[in-house]
Amino acid sequence: MKKRIWRFIGAATAAGLLLSFMNMMNPDSARSMDQHTWTDREKLVLRSLWLGSLDPLPVDPSNKYSDNPRAAALGKKLFFEDKFSGNQKVSCATCHREDYFFTDNLPQSHGMDITPRRSMPLIGVAYNSWFFWDGRTDSLWSQALGPIENKLEHGISRTMSAYIIGKYYRREYEEVFGALPDFMEDTFPQHARPALDDPEALKAWILMTPEQRAEVNRVYVNMGKAIGAFVRTILPEPSPFDIYVEQIVSGKPLKSRMALTDNEARGLRLFIGKAKCTNCHNGPLFTNGDFHNLGVPPKDEKKPDKGRAAAITQVLSSEFNCFGKYSDARSEQCLQLRFIETSEEKYTGAFKTPTLRNVTERPPYMHAGQFATVREVLEFYRSKAQNPELGHDKLTDEELDQLEAFLHALSSPLKSLQTDEK
Amino acid sequence: MKRLLLVFVALFFLLSGCAAREDQMAGHSAEMEGMTEGHGHGDVKVTKHFDESLTKLTDNNLYSLELVIPDEHLKMGVNTVEIIVHHSTGGDVAQADVTVTPWMPSMGHGVMEKPVVMERGGGLYSVENVVLSMTGHWQLQVKVAKDDKTDEAVFDFPEIKAMGHEHAMMHAPPPKDLDYATEKMTVNDIFKVSYKSTGGLIRINRIHSWELTIRDADGQPVNNAKVTVVGDMPEHGHGLPTQPEVFNMGVGGFYRIDGMKFQMPGWWVVTINVMADGVHDAVSFNLDVL
Repeated sequence: MKKRIWRFIGAATAAGLLLSFMNMMNPDSARSMDQHTWTDREKLVLRSLWLGSLDPLPVDPSNKYSDNPRAAALGKKLFFEDKFSGNQKVSCATCHREDYFFTDNLPQSHGMDITPRRSMPLIGVAYNSWFFWDGRTDSLWSQALGPIENKLEHGISRTMSAYIIGKYYRREYEEVFGALPDFMEDTFPQHARPALDDPEALKAWILMTPEQRAEVNRVYVNMGKAIGAFVRTILPEPSPFDIYVEQIVSGKPLKSRMALTDNEARGLRLFIGKAKCTNCHNGPLFTNGDFHNLGVPPKDEKKPDKGRAAAITQVLSSEFNCFGKYSDARSEQCLQLRFIETSEEKYTGAFKTPTLRNVTERPPYMHAGQFATVREVLEFYRSKAQNPELGHDKLTDEELDQLEAFLHALSSPLKSLQTDEK
Repeated sequence: MKRLLLVFVALFFLLSGCAAREDQMAGHSAEMEGMTEGHGHGDVKVTKHFDESLTKLTDNNLYSLELVIPDEHLKMGVNTVEIIVHHSTGGDVAQADVTVTPWMPSMGHGVMEKPVVMERGGGLYSVENVVLSMTGHWQLQVKVAKDDKTDEAVFDFPEIKAMGHEHAMMHAPPPKDLDYATEKMTVNDIFKVSYKSTGGLIRINRIHSWELTIRDADGQPVNNAKVTVVGDMPEHGHGLPTQPEVFNMGVGGFYRIDGMKFQMPGWWVVTINVMADGVHDAVSFNLDVL
């Protein structure tokens, strides 16, 4: 007790003397000050989660247009364009809503029809190595192409995409990518794609000449590269948590009000400690980008989603992967693909760890929206406390409250470099 | 104790020919006439060798199976079970090809670890390394193949729980005073191995490279080694998210490992296996990844 008194007195200014005296009188308040005391090791962990530790946007060697502002400006228009869909009503923004942190509020997204999974949040997505919940593509541009030809999402084809680009975006496209061929209706079929789920479109595709197919693919890929260049710019701004870390790391936590309440700070302490959330939710974007099977109940018991396990051969065999001829990367730059873990057993039912930035503002949760609230997610993790892979220890109701409070402190506005040029 | 008994019973079967006489095994394996839990073939009777065994008729009625769990309950972690295969018409089935597959029906996945089946004789098969990687609903799929005839049955375990002890064994916390040295002798003192991350401090979630130096006990560079690398998190029971590749630089005992990546913070163990001139040895490095 004496030590504590001396510590307080030593640290206090003339004005602070009165404060510390009150602290001694009021044990609750004294404890609350301890909530904001962190060991050097804990400070290192806090710093690693801090937005200020985020590296500059990683170069995407497979997309040489990724930092081209004109490509991004075109990509933004394409992102919000309803014409790229079978019913002229679906755009990327349908399921990645700007007003909902670039995801949507549905358990399973609705494009042309209901998809099997939830829309992924796009905050800081450019820092990922793998895209989609199962990582079936290895770049943002190839990710952007998948939904266009998916019957449940945009439900059109690459030839139709090329038509639309040629008709409505010719000038902007040619400014970035060079001359665009004419896609005339009498020489190019409207719905042709190398699809195993659509015999008509597949037949139309193989009846095209190899040169025609290459031309269409080229335009389609450039469309993806433009969209990728835009999506890269969707980034988080500092949250109360980040301001708090600055207060802690600067070593002057007392100079102003702490950015986290006592309860939020308790939640943070659990998050990096006892509850072991940082096992997977680590780094400034609160994700390790890897795939894990949490034992979340499947949407369809009879047809469990195999997740990452089913995506490994897809990404390896994709014509649009980093090794492919439409990639701008040299093969030695394709590190993720080169060293890909190919064990299907390890990744059965595994899905990508999503970012926790803005997490409380964009329910529902998990890959098929299995949980409606953050609280349900926390309760689920608590129920799995015995699972060593999850290992969240035994948490009390009060501790769940604190964790939930902390997660709210990860919210911030989004920074989209392209927002003003809409 | 029970395991010993099983071996004894197996020996007895071997010597006595078979199961028809188990009534003489007073007390321990009393004859039990019971209905099996098979699918609608309820009138087939199974003579059980063990009181506490679970019985199942295979799907096509070829065999009846008895499953004995020496530890009474299967649990999360590593288990051993015993299976006795009977003909559905009576008599035990020796020299069959028995495979056991743990399966989580609700998740549609099994485990990487393969159970090891050993025949003990007299229709008794012991199955080791039955790994149940998490708590929850599990099944053991047992397939019996003999003389071109294959049949199988599924034993259902609706709720596998964790046992404190096993938990600690599979998922050990880091010991105090962990040795974080980056240069070490291999286990049998044959090679001296050192590593260094080429990008400096090892950071989480980054694919990066290591430089290895391998020398023999006299300090001479070893340039002709075959080197493999395994990363593991003892607290979580899983490994690296990548498959690293090792390149022999050909001089100075230098090797480069590309594709290293750590996706979780905490205690990692990276084991380097070195094989040179027909000699194999290994060394494990501890890392604290933040």
